[in-house]
Formats: sequence, C-alpha cells, structure tokens
Amino acid sequence: MIEVSGLRKTYGDFAAVVDSDFAVDDGEVFGIVGPNGAGKTTTLKVIAGLVEPTDGEVTVAGFDASDPEMRRHLGFLPEESPLYEEMTALSYLRFFADLYDVPREVADERIEAALDRLELDHRERRLGDVSKGMKRKVAIARSLVNDPDVLVYDEPASGLDPVTTNSVLAFTRELRETGKTVVFSAHNLYHVESVCDRVVVMNEGRIVARGSVDGIRERHGETTYRVFTDVEPTATLALADLDAATAEVGDRYRTTVPDMDAVAAVREAVADAGGEVVDIRSREPSLEDVFLDIVGRPMPGRFTGDIGDDADGDEDDGADRESDGGGDGDEGAETAAATATEATE
Amino acid sequence: MTDRLRRLGRRIAVAARRVLRVAKWESARASGGVDRKTLAAGVALLLVAGGVVGVGVATGVAGLDVDRDVYRVGVDPGSPYADAIEAEPSLRAVSAGRASLGDTADAVVVTVVRPGSEDGGAIDPGDVESVVVRATDTQKGEAAAASVREAVEAHNERLMRAEPNRTAAFPVTVTLRYVGRTTGFDEGTTLGGDGDQTSDSDGSTGGGSDGGDGGSDGEGGSDGDGSTTDGVGSVGGSDGSDGDGGFAVPSIGGAAFGADTVGSPGSITPPFPFTSLLLAFVFLVPMNFLIQAYGSSILDERTNRRGEPLLVTPLSPAEIVAGKTLPYAAAAAVVTTLIALAVGGGALSVIAVAPVAATFLGATFVGAMFARSFKELTFVTVGVSVLLTTYAFVPAIFTNVTPVALVSPLTLVVFDLQGEAVSAGEVLFSTAPMAVGAALLFGLGLGVYREEDMFSQKPVTRKFLDALAVRLSPVPTGGAPLDRRRLRALGGVAFLTACTIPFVFVAELLAVAVLFALPVTVSIPVLLVTIAFIEEVAKSVGLYAGFERGVFERLDGVAAGDGDGTLRVALAVGLASGTGFFLAEKATAVVQAVGLTDLFLGRAAFGDVAGLSGLPPLALAALFFAPLALHAVTTGLASVGASRGRTAYALALTLATLGHAAYNAGVVSLG
Repeated sequence: MIEVSGLRKTYGDFAAVVDSDFAVDDGEVFGIVGPNGAGKTTTLKVIAGLVEPTDGEVTVAGFDASDPEMRRHLGFLPEESPLYEEMTALSYLRFFADLYDVPREVADERIEAALDRLELDHRERRLGDVSKGMKRKVAIARSLVNDPDVLVYDEPASGLDPVTTNSVLAFTRELRETGKTVVFSAHNLYHVESVCDRVVVMNEGRIVARGSVDGIRERHGETTYRVFTDVEPTATLALADLDAATAEVGDRYRTTVPDMDAVAAVREAVADAGGEVVDIRSREPSLEDVFLDIVGRPMPGRFTGDIGDDADGDEDDGADRESDGGGDGDEGAETAAATATEATE
Repeated sequence: MTDRLRRLGRRIAVAARRVLRVAKWESARASGGVDRKTLAAGVALLLVAGGVVGVGVATGVAGLDVDRDVYRVGVDPGSPYADAIEAEPSLRAVSAGRASLGDTADAVVVTVVRPGSEDGGAIDPGDVESVVVRATDTQKGEAAAASVREAVEAHNERLMRAEPNRTAAFPVTVTLRYVGRTTGFDEGTTLGGDGDQTSDSDGSTGGGSDGGDGGSDGEGGSDGDGSTTDGVGSVGGSDGSDGDGGFAVPSIGGAAFGADTVGSPGSITPPFPFTSLLLAFVFLVPMNFLIQAYGSSILDERTNRRGEPLLVTPLSPAEIVAGKTLPYAAAAAVVTTLIALAVGGGALSVIAVAPVAATFLGATFVGAMFARSFKELTFVTVGVSVLLTTYAFVPAIFTNVTPVALVSPLTLVVFDLQGEAVSAGEVLFSTAPMAVGAALLFGLGLGVYREEDMFSQKPVTRKFLDALAVRLSPVPTGGAPLDRRRLRALGGVAFLTACTIPFVFVAELLAVAVLFALPVTVSIPVLLVTIAFIEEVAKSVGLYAGFERGVFERLDGVAAGDGDGTLRVALAVGLASGTGFFLAEKATAVVQAVGLTDLFLGRAAFGDVAGLSGLPPLALAALFFAPLALHAVTTGLASVGASRGRTAYALALTLATLGHAAYNAGVVSLG
C-alpha cells in the first residue's frame, strides 16, 4: 500500500531524513518510532504529500505521493490538531467532507458513525469551547470523512489523558480490523507496542532498526541479570571480557551481566574481594530498553532509571536488521554501521 | 482536440466547484468568527463613518447648504447690494433699519445717497454716492464682510454675463489653454541662465524662457499683473507676455529650491476636483476593513498549523487561496458597486476600483503569508493600507493637470464622476499595472503556501527570498550549451524577472508622481538613480534568492576547481534575467498611449525614441537593443556579486545601479 524508496529530505544543510526505505502492507498498522528530531514527522508528511522529498520515491495506494489524486485515498492526522474554533464539530467535519466531494447524506453517516465510536458529545458546540481530547477526536474523525484506504497518524495520542489515550489507541486498533492501513508515529513506545504490527526505529533521520515489535525486542533487548553485592567485585579479566558494568547503589554494588555464566564470574570476583552476592534479579527488556540500545540515548522525557547502565551505544549487529519492505540487507547493514558511528560520537 | 477541450472544461468546472466550496465555508467561518456584539459595533462604526462621509459628500454634491444663512447682514431693500446679498446663501438679509451691529446683524450695508434724493423707497443707482460695509470687530464680522464683498463681486459678474453687449461687458478676452510643462532643461537650455523672454504670440509655447528670470511666470501670473479676475477662473501666465505663457502653473517663487523653479502642483490653479476626489476616496475606505478580515483569515490558517489539514485534501493551494479570497473579493465588488451607485459613478468607477481592491487583497495575502504573528500582520495591513491609499489617492489629485495622475486608477473614478470620457488606452494604462501586480502578488504568496513555509517562523526577508527561490530551478553546469534543462532553468529566471515589471512600473510611476512636484534640477538626478536602483533590484533580487537558497550553487559551496562553473552560472542567469527584463520592459510601451512620455519626467523614466526618427535604421536598431546590453551587463555584475555573498551582492548592486544611472543620463541627454 505504501512504498518508500531512497527517501531523503534536507532543509539547507540539515538532513531530516536520510536514505529511508520501507514498505507498508495493506491492512497493516505500521509504526515509526524515534526520539524528537528523528525524522518521523517528516517521513509521514512526505507520505501525505505535504512535503516534497529532496530525493527518492514515495507511492501511496499506487499514486505518487505528490499526486493530488492520492489524497483522496489518504486520511492524515497531524501531531497537533488545532481546528477552526469558530465552527462546530459537525460543520467542521461536513466542510472537509465537502472538500472530498462526499455527498452530504454519506458524509453525515460517516461523521455520525465516527463520532459515536469516538464517544464524542457536544457536536454542536463551538470547537473553541471543547477539551483537547475532544478536539483530537474531531481531528481523528476528520481523517475518516473521505473513507480513506490509508491513514497517517502522527503521534495520535500525544498529550492526552490516559482515558482518551486508551480510547484513541483502541480506535486505531479497530481501524486495522476494517481493512485500513495505518502508519503511526510515536515516541511513546507503549503506544507503538500496543497498536503496531511492525515498526521502524528512526534516529537522526535514519532507520536504525525494523521489524515486528517482538522481533526487534528479541534482537535488541536481551534478558539481563543484576547481581547485587556488598563489596565491589574485583576487576578480573573474566569480568572485563563480559563487558560487565558495576554501579554503586546505596550501600550495595550492582553489576549487570548478560547471562548466568557471567553471574558466576561476578560471584567469584566478589568472593575474591572478600564479599558476597546478596541478591540476583533478572530483567526482561522493555521496548524502552530496546530503543535505548539502538539509538544510544534514552527516550526524551521518559524515566530511564538504572537502565542507563545497560547502554553501551554500540550498534554492532547490523546483520540482525530485517530487510523487509523496500529495503535490502546491505543497505540495512550500512545504515546500522553509520548510526553506530554517530551514536558513539 | 475536442476531447482535450472537454477535459480542460471539466477541470475548470471541478476547480470552480472546489473554489466555491471553500468560499462558502470561508464565508460561514468568517461570519462565525465575529460575535454579534462585535458585529453590531462594527456596523455602528461603519454607519457613523458613512454618515460623516455622506454628510460631507452631500454637502458638496446635493447642495444641502449647511453654510446657509451663516451671517446676518443689514441692508435696505432698495440698496443696490440687496440683490447680491439675497442671492448669496451664506448671507441673510435683515432690514438695515432694525439691524443692530453685533446684536441682530454681523454686518450692515450703509448706502450713502445724494442728499435730497431719498424718496423713502427704492434707491436710484445714480443717486448712490458710496456704499460702506460695516462689520463687528470680530472674526465673524470680518468673515461676514468678506462674504458680502464676494457676493457683490459674484453679483456683478452675473450682471455682466447677462449683458447683451459682450464686448462692452468683457472688453478683454482671455483664452486659457493648459499644456504640458516644458522646461529649459527639456529644450536644451541651461537651467538658471538668462532666459530670452521669447514667446509665441499666443503665449502657449514659450517654455524656453522660464528659467531665466527666476519666476518670470510668477510675475506674469494672475496675482502679478491683475490683468485677469479670479471670478472667471483665470490663471497665471495667461496673457502669455512673460515668455512662460505655456505654463499653466505659476512659479512657487523659488522659496525652496531657488529662483529657477518653474512651478509646483501646490500653485496650480486649474479646477481642483475636490468633490470627485472625496467621492473617489470613499471607494478606498471599505478596503481597509476588508484587508483586516482577510489578513486575519489567512494568518489564522498558519497559526498553530490550523490550515495543515486543508493541504492534504485534493485541493491545490491555488484553489484553497482562491476560495478563501473569493468572499472578500466579492464583498469588495458589492461594496464598490453600491458606492458607485450612491455617488453617481458608473461602470468605469467599478472597473477602476477592481484592480485597487485586488491589489489590496494581494498585498495583504503576501503580508499574511510572510508575517509571523498577528502583531506583524498589523504592521503589514497598516503598511498596505497607507502605501496603496497614497498610491491611489495622491496622483488622483492631479487629475486635471497631468497624465501622471493616470498612474492611479482612482483618477478614472474622478473622471467618471466628472462625466469626462477616457480612452481605452488610458483605462489600460491606469488599471493594468495594478491588476497584473495583484495577480503576481498572489503568485508570490502562493509560492510559500505549502507546508514547509506556511508554518515556519522565518523572518519576512527569508520568506520573501523563499517565495522567489521556489520559482527557480538549478542550472546544470555540464552538457551541451542548449541543453533542455538548462534552457528551461534560464527561461524560469527570465520569466521571474519579467514578472517584476508591473512592480517596477508601479514603483517608477510612483517615483515620477512623487518627484513631479520638485524642480527638475533635483528631480531628474534623483529620478535617474532611483529608477536605476529599482530596476537593478528587480533584475537581481531573484538571482540573489536563488544563490541564497541554494538553487544556484555559490562559490563557497563548490569544490575547488568548480569556481568557473559557478561563475558561468552566475553570468548565464544574469543574462537570462536581463533578457527577461528587456522583453517585459517593452510591454510598458503603453505609457505612450496616454502621453506620459510627453512629460519630461515621463521621458526620463520610460524613455522615448520618438525624437530619433531621423536616425538611420542601424542606429535605431542599436538604440533599441542598447537596453538589452545594459541589462545583461549590469545584471551579470549583480549576479556575480550575489553568487559570492550578501556583501558582494550589495557592492555589485551599487555598481550596477551607478552604471545604469549613467546610461539613463546618457539617454536623457540624447533625447
């Protein structure tokens, strides 16, 4: 349904998106994740035909993204949804339906259905007088008035309260069931995890990982073990080889290691130092950790806790990247290598 | 062919439908954005403003005579002045016998008759020894006396006109003929030198002498020799005896600019079309309200990205903008038509005001697209309002004086209200620059009506450069000289520059109109440099935008050894821009249609080779193409400067301007 090939977008000397390739299948909910400034929004705007790419090709529903006819097949939800505040929800939605040449009766049916599903009341109230969550729902309803095949949602649940967030995410999941193709960006990884079939992870304009959420988690987020000791383990050669990281936490020391063999090595090192292991905990990776592992820095505005110790900023497994969609394996590996350099810098 | 036409027709119909849809919703939005109280207050303000203007207009047009019966004058019914006072609306006659000066009368007419001639009734004019007008020693008394004097003069004038023996009534006949101002400089004589005081017998073409005696025409004016009376509207120089008889404009006395001054509009005495001007101005008033609403609506789309969803609909930016503009354009058309009906204007008035309204909207659209906030928009709308009102109104003051007045379409309105006919050429000359300018302003704004520019917070200057640069394409440096891509890119450059012609034309006309009032010793040099600067900026600013925005590669942005390529590109785009300007400039030949080049300033501004008809064809061809060489060289210079950065561009632009001004001076001295 969507093909992105060799996409590049620059603003002067600044490269917002670099050599981006991916494809989105019919009926798929596809996520683009990354920190602020990663290039997610620019990518979505190129898909929506809002921004002209500097290089590369983007097709949506068989049309070039710059073709105005493509827009008949597209519903777009920008990151912010300021509406015409002097209009009511109904008049606003009818206005957009009009622009898509939707007959009034059909438009009213669609609008009613969307607003009912989104549980939006106060349809005759001026949009300037309704809450942010309501406005977001109106904006979502607007993206559906032309019954598009493809929906491009930029941070659809950003800044909403938990109840509205859940409502919006549930609605997005339902869209998949109706056969819509959804491209969805977020920097809240929970949103991505709960909605998307596949994702690409972007950082500094490049795609640095791609695949299913579980696949990426498997590749980039391994189970780690935290060994808490009462003295600092002696820096033995074995520990150095394991790339173990030790941190002082209160009156204890915490050493994070990748497997049980390493736990044994820590135990020995602590014994050498005259101490003992007081606790061992295993930790499953969240998508947050995965992201951190890939981009080398925590998600902006997110609690990172002690997982910072796990970050090595090393992107040494480019071969793990899936080369699905429009990309190929070689390109993926090169991308990963380039990112690794930038991340280290 | 038929299919193609059908497709085109269908496309136009679809576009029209879309535009109307946006227009419909824009109207609904605009009306919904104003609450009832604000609307009521606005309507009330408009009514008050309309009432004030209406009263003023009615006073002049309908003769409501608000100045009726202002002064009470005591006069005997039998006094020879009685009829004069009766006929003057501002005076109210009261019986002289009952009049008490300062109490029941502001002035009293005392008729002294020969003793014994009083018969208690009518006074025989032959018995009148003298008539004395006495007034109270107050400002009102003085004004009353002055009014009595004017009433008597007017009364005498009427009597003389009624006299069957015209020769006896008017022993001296003065024929006025207004001609274009000529100067010593124009005729090749030295300004400030001694005039030879020669003149034609009819006094209409003695332009060669004006500079000589320092206000010779002033001496010969109506104030000087008293040979004519104000009552018949005579003007200075009418007797033609001062060697300056061709001038309809008396000297301003050289108070400001020396004795060689030949006159200014301030001293012009031809009928000042006050009422028509006032009525014409009424057409401009609603524009100020319209652009406020329109500018707010456009900026509102950009605030917080409110208009972003519109950009992902199947509508093109042009359709969106047309739809958003249509309600305001329609409002302008309706209001203009209503005003025209109210003040007695016809279709010409509406046709004349249409491009003014379009320019108001176009300039506001560009301003709203460039402004970063409503605060900046306020400056924009005020600036647009002041500039365009000045441009439209000031030249119209000279409606009855000079073809320069046709710079403004409002002059056509004045003509229309005066019931004077205008030629199609004059209508075209007056309206075309603003109409084309308005279209180009919308085109300029449309260049940044896209996501990448609409919602960014760039300074106005950067937005302006973006709007220009978006119309340009990179010029390939390799390949064949006539490579299609290169030709297309250079053609784009030429077209962009050609599009500046209406603005250049308007700016030059404005310069002429502004400098028209100054003596030629000042106005000509300033005009030559101003015009050179305007044209050099017009030709090169697009190129600067291209280099600044990276469409054309700058020298510091290319690899070592590629500098020659950049230089070649700079020269090529300079040549293309100069050529585009040259071709478009030829379109300004419309100025010939209205005789603007008959004016010396007009000739200096727009050139005129009419006087060179005696030259051989080769020389004429060389003169015809000389501007092409000039534009190519100066624009090439400015382009090379632009390719090297802002400072280099400023320096190159200065050099180009000076070179251009020198060329202009040469042409003027040739002409």
